[in-house]
Amino acid sequence: MSENNKAVVDIDRSVYDIKDVENEQDFYRMEDGFTEDIVRKISEEKHDPEWMREFRLKSLKIYNELEMPDWGPDTDGLDMNLISSYVRSKSDMKGKWEDVPEDIKNTFERLGIPEAERESLAGVGAQYDSELVYHNVKDEVAAQGVVYTDMESALTGEYADMVHEYFMKLVPPTDHKYAALHGAVWSGGSFVYVPKGVKVDIPLQSYFRLNAAGAGQFEHTLIIVDEGADLHFIEGCSAPKYNVANLHAGCVELFVKKNARLRYSTIENWSKNMYNLNTKRALVEEGARMEWVSGSFGSHTSYLYPMTILKGDHSNMEYTGITFAGKGQNLDTGAKVIHQGKYTSSVISTKSISKSGGIGTYRSSVTINKEAKHAKTSVSCDSLMLDSISRADTIPGMDIRTNDADVGHEAKIGRISDEAVFYLMSRGLSEEDARALIVSGFANPVSKELPLEYAVEMNNLIKLEMSGG
Amino acid sequence: MDLKMKVNHLPALTYRFLKSNDSEIDAKDLYIENTKTPDPLDIPEGVSVKSDASEDDIRDIFAKVNAKIEAKKTDIPGPNGDTAPLNDAQTVRTGMGVEIDKLMNEMNVKSLVITSEEGRKVTEPVHIKYDLKDGDCTLGSQVIYAKKDSEITVIMEYDSEPEGKGFLGLQTRLLAEEGAKINLVKVQMLSEGFIHFDDIGSVCDDNASVDTINMQLGAGNTWGGNRTALLGDASTFDNHTGYLCRNKQSYDMNYVADQMGKKTQSNMIFRGVLLDEAVKTFRGTLDFKAGSAGSVGDEQEDTLLLSPDVINRTMPVILCGEEDVDGRHGASIGQLGDDTLFYMESRGIDEEAAKKLMIRARMESIARMIPDEAIIVRIQQFIRTII
Repeated sequence: MSENNKAVVDIDRSVYDIKDVENEQDFYRMEDGFTEDIVRKISEEKHDPEWMREFRLKSLKIYNELEMPDWGPDTDGLDMNLISSYVRSKSDMKGKWEDVPEDIKNTFERLGIPEAERESLAGVGAQYDSELVYHNVKDEVAAQGVVYTDMESALTGEYADMVHEYFMKLVPPTDHKYAALHGAVWSGGSFVYVPKGVKVDIPLQSYFRLNAAGAGQFEHTLIIVDEGADLHFIEGCSAPKYNVANLHAGCVELFVKKNARLRYSTIENWSKNMYNLNTKRALVEEGARMEWVSGSFGSHTSYLYPMTILKGDHSNMEYTGITFAGKGQNLDTGAKVIHQGKYTSSVISTKSISKSGGIGTYRSSVTINKEAKHAKTSVSCDSLMLDSISRADTIPGMDIRTNDADVGHEAKIGRISDEAVFYLMSRGLSEEDARALIVSGFANPVSKELPLEYAVEMNNLIKLEMSGG
Repeated sequence: MDLKMKVNHLPALTYRFLKSNDSEIDAKDLYIENTKTPDPLDIPEGVSVKSDASEDDIRDIFAKVNAKIEAKKTDIPGPNGDTAPLNDAQTVRTGMGVEIDKLMNEMNVKSLVITSEEGRKVTEPVHIKYDLKDGDCTLGSQVIYAKKDSEITVIMEYDSEPEGKGFLGLQTRLLAEEGAKINLVKVQMLSEGFIHFDDIGSVCDDNASVDTINMQLGAGNTWGGNRTALLGDASTFDNHTGYLCRNKQSYDMNYVADQMGKKTQSNMIFRGVLLDEAVKTFRGTLDFKAGSAGSVGDEQEDTLLLSPDVINRTMPVILCGEEDVDGRHGASIGQLGDDTLFYMESRGIDEEAAKKLMIRARMESIARMIPDEAIIVRIQQFIRTII
């Protein structure tokens, strides 16, 4: 097999790379850096209640005290003094696409968001830089009592007490340096509340677009799925590529109440100048189920490990994820789970593909506490190396504190076998198609968990990579 | 003296909250009076033994392979959180790391060098036995050097007075030249009053192999490290570790196979039992370096947990900078299955007896591989005594 045929080029990102010029007339941009003065200004801009202003300032103090972790990818290319924490359009958030400023609307049109809303979603939130520009939920879903709104409205509106009760309780600012930064400068994001027993049949989606060069996006997503309720939430994100570093330090807090179910799907396709230092966490109560489906394709550097706390007895979780690390990317991804309740179970299944010098690291932890009798966990991680200039590392950890647990773990690292390629070629496929088919098959356990439209998008990205298109 | 040092560094750091990135040996008031490895009980034909070798002598033995290791370094970046540079200063990289070299140096510990002649396949094992008394504090260093196309088997056994207290710290370094094979067996049956560390580092040249069997059955706190550089093409590393921890015993281990040559093979098996309030931390790493095309590696861990108060930490790492490799890890951790218990009970064996049977079966499945019947019997007796 020739080396040329093995070579795989970067994704054609033309759709995602369209840049809108943000002029001073239409956009407000905070000066770069993270100081107390800037945090106060953001708080003022957003008309925070008193407790939130204090929370932000306290978080900033924690941020300044905490160290960067010593175990993950290098973040030396991220100069925090050159990042603007807050950029927003001077137009307010709209409830109709036709009211959204033309250039912003065009960007979302090209990304297919309004079309997806019309065809397959129960509601959409669209964030552009630091603020939501569009938010809408279908009438029939709203009629069920489902609340889907931007975080700022939730903070001061009817659900203010609920937000106060839950905001950054699951991911406290002390958790790590970028959780603290998030607490200080968060902006935008969505608040979802699904009342008891309500099953939302079609998904809600939030889409995050970071257009401004050298900016940070710090959206906060807070979802509460009440007892016996059911929700599928989809998160998408992209950005045009710049030659300066951008930062994403969002935070997702999910509360899955007794016997409820939440599926949280993400297709992350940030540009390759993005430092994606994101935190996601779910608290799962008795008999409830948390499902994560995660596809990581973009970013220059990622630290992303959604955590699930199986607090209630008989609660369970499933994490299915794929990471595709290409040239210049260092994607450190995985999952964490803590078993606290009795008869809890977790299944973690991940796929990782490395090519063209990319570094893909699968990192995880499974903790089974002493009280978690009859816990079961199964972890499976497969990595595929497409050349010999890349890296694929698997760093799982397990901390088991009861004998009454059943723990299974499997990891594999390998390549596309020449025999498999030869077999497919003997059936009439070209070498490129054979390799693409094998990689698609490798990714199939993840794509089959996504809604059809997103699975198609993911498979197209893989095909594009494999064909060199 | 007081001993306080960080050992067993995970080759790639991970979350701090797992508390498994390294381990601290913290031992106070040690009066280390003995740093000489006991003479082998017998020296078979084809084997030579040299006492009191200096670290310069050891560097000379490893100079050629260390130059080859240096030449194999590539520009492929290490893993995120790479700790490899920590141990660059070692004469031979070992599982426990550079702190052990520093300690040996500080205490002026000389090495016992056991060498097999070129081309000689020595079937009779070399026995080294530590028989420690209450209060003994001992350090020791051994080098096993298998010259080209030779084979040597070394069995090291550590025993102590039943209620004795003390300290035993060992470092064993292995060099298997082209086509050579080293079989190393270590059996530790110290009393629970002992603190113990056992550090191994190996280098295998082309077509060479190292087989290690490690039985850890005693001592209150044990640290173990085993790092093998599969430097040469078609070199192999096989390891079988059996451990039994009970009461408040702890066992902290770090196994690493650095697969550097083409078509290298590593196979690591770990079988253990935790009882009472025992604590075990296992780190096992397969590290496929760039250039190790055609290599395969497999590590399998099977841990039986027999008390609600045990703590089991497992870090099974695979690092990969080469496309054409096949690396696997599997772990199975849990208590005796209901099916097994039901089967036993249906044959008149109650739960307690079934547990003892399973403990013995697991330990003996490793012990039976030791090429010395008398030691196997002693292991069986030791296990019978403690459970």
